[in-house]
Amino acid sequence: MTVLETDGLTKQFGGLVAVDDVDVRIERGEGVSLIGPNGAGKSTFIDLVTQRLQPTGGDVRFKDESIVGMDPHEIVQRGMSKSFQTASVFPELTVEENATIAALAAEHGAFRLNFFRHENAYPEVTELAAEVLDSVGLYDQRDETAADLDYGNKRRLEIGIALASEPDMLLMDEPTAGMSPEETESTVNLIKEVKEAMNLTFLLVEHDMEIVFDISDRIVVLNRGQVIAAGDPKAVRDDPEVQTAYLGGTAQ
Amino acid sequence: MSDEPSDATATAPAEVERGRGFAARWSAFRDREFSTVVVMSLGVLVFPVVFNSLLDGYNQLATLMLIWGIFAVGFDILLGYTGLLSFGHAVFWGGAAYVAGIFSASVSSDPLLVILAGTGFAVLLSVIVGSLSLRRGGIYFAILTLTFGQMAFYLATSPLAFLTNGENGFTSVDIGPLFGVLDLHQPLPGAFGMLPGNTLYLFVGVLAVAAVAAANRILHSPYGIVFRAIRENERRAEFVGLNVWRYKLMAFVISAAFAGVAGSLFTIEGNYVPLDSLYWTTSGEVVIMTALGGVGSLFGPLLGAGVYLYIEFIVSGMEVIGPFWHLILGAVFVLVIVLFPAGIWGGVEAARDALAGGED
Repeated sequence: MTVLETDGLTKQFGGLVAVDDVDVRIERGEGVSLIGPNGAGKSTFIDLVTQRLQPTGGDVRFKDESIVGMDPHEIVQRGMSKSFQTASVFPELTVEENATIAALAAEHGAFRLNFFRHENAYPEVTELAAEVLDSVGLYDQRDETAADLDYGNKRRLEIGIALASEPDMLLMDEPTAGMSPEETESTVNLIKEVKEAMNLTFLLVEHDMEIVFDISDRIVVLNRGQVIAAGDPKAVRDDPEVQTAYLGGTAQ
Repeated sequence: MSDEPSDATATAPAEVERGRGFAARWSAFRDREFSTVVVMSLGVLVFPVVFNSLLDGYNQLATLMLIWGIFAVGFDILLGYTGLLSFGHAVFWGGAAYVAGIFSASVSSDPLLVILAGTGFAVLLSVIVGSLSLRRGGIYFAILTLTFGQMAFYLATSPLAFLTNGENGFTSVDIGPLFGVLDLHQPLPGAFGMLPGNTLYLFVGVLAVAAVAAANRILHSPYGIVFRAIRENERRAEFVGLNVWRYKLMAFVISAAFAGVAGSLFTIEGNYVPLDSLYWTTSGEVVIMTALGGVGSLFGPLLGAGVYLYIEFIVSGMEVIGPFWHLILGAVFVLVIVLFPAGIWGGVEAARDALAGGED
């Protein structure tokens, strides 16, 4: 089943075509990475998929439904979750509360009118939050304030928040940016684990080639807004056009 | 903190540990809903005794403190928990006060119906004002609410003077007895006359306890955590799938409902609606009371309202320093905020933690 499909997706800023007629298709259970040199249009593509930006042409379909023009919370409610480039958590709340917010939105929708029902009457929310914290390895730190976590753990919590939404697809924007090598390794392992355990579908934007080749089923290479190659990691690595455009300059 | 491995077993030793020590027991007690009601009720009963005998207070001022306290408790749900600064809440306080007054004069003088009318009006109005103001964030939201407040003030000054009696304020307030029998401005019958305060104070006191209990419940429903999430990181809250806009509107409407109850009580208490009740300074006062008492706390705004009115009504009557009460209020505000950014309640909590040995 196709989870995400872009069809001739285009975004023009004045004379600049940042994303140019891009067709990408992601099947359920697939881990896809989006790579490309700086300015290739990766961020713009992600912003189009999350509807932070409106496309100037083409369509974005999520589970066979066009999501163009929807609000972020509507898209998330349909099952597309996003992990941010910076550790975007709720800093003054506890780790557990951070997960609870996402679990609440997952279990009870974008809005509930009942403002008088006690939070203890939502055991399914508490359970989901605990489950997610367990899977990202932060259950022991659940009572700590999120702001007090070290950077690596904040990023894990960030991914936890995204997972608590029980997504059909997770967008990850450079999940290991700014991490130490150990933190990077543990995050990569985390993503692998979660992918195994939850049969997670993801779309990842990443600079680090090692990570991309390690965890992706398929790689899509963007250059100047266009897809120049797509396929399994080995095919992409060997693609001559990719080597010139992207890998060539920095080949060791 | 327990170093036990995670799983179910980890919670058990943690609970035991939490049971030790005064601070721990206090926090366990505090977290129960029932205890909030008990603490607040005791506070309401004891307050006039202490206030009248030791602090030169009087029942009428104690009543006024509770009324403003209700206003500030609701306002803090918006300011302290959701992180939205409104500079126009006078429109709900004053609007409810006027509707309560006009309703009492021309429809029914039953105090509960009067409160219902005033509060209903504030809620309806807040849906409109909120929907329009919340389209913008930060400073624009504050300015938009201020603008709506001032529009209401000018409407009441002249175009609607036939209803509001313009600059003289609404004087035809007619409050009847509660349930048709209990006159709020007369002493309670029999042994009830022994209770502290007076009839009106106790009536307001019951509503203040209810208001605090309601605020406590709202803040312990999923709304509480969603409000704080919006305050902390609005964009992230959207991206976990929450309709942030609607929740913000609910915070706005809930705070307006509290303002409506308080504004209606203000009319009942004073038998009069001053035009000032819609003026922007009223909006400013509730901001100062809330910040002074402690944003993001349940009881703080009550303390803020009390201290503010104490300076305005008692200190202002003192010899020598009396005429400088505005200056004193400013100095107290600056001092409290500099020493305890979390307001008076933040200071109380810091003191309590220090007494408990710095633990927790």
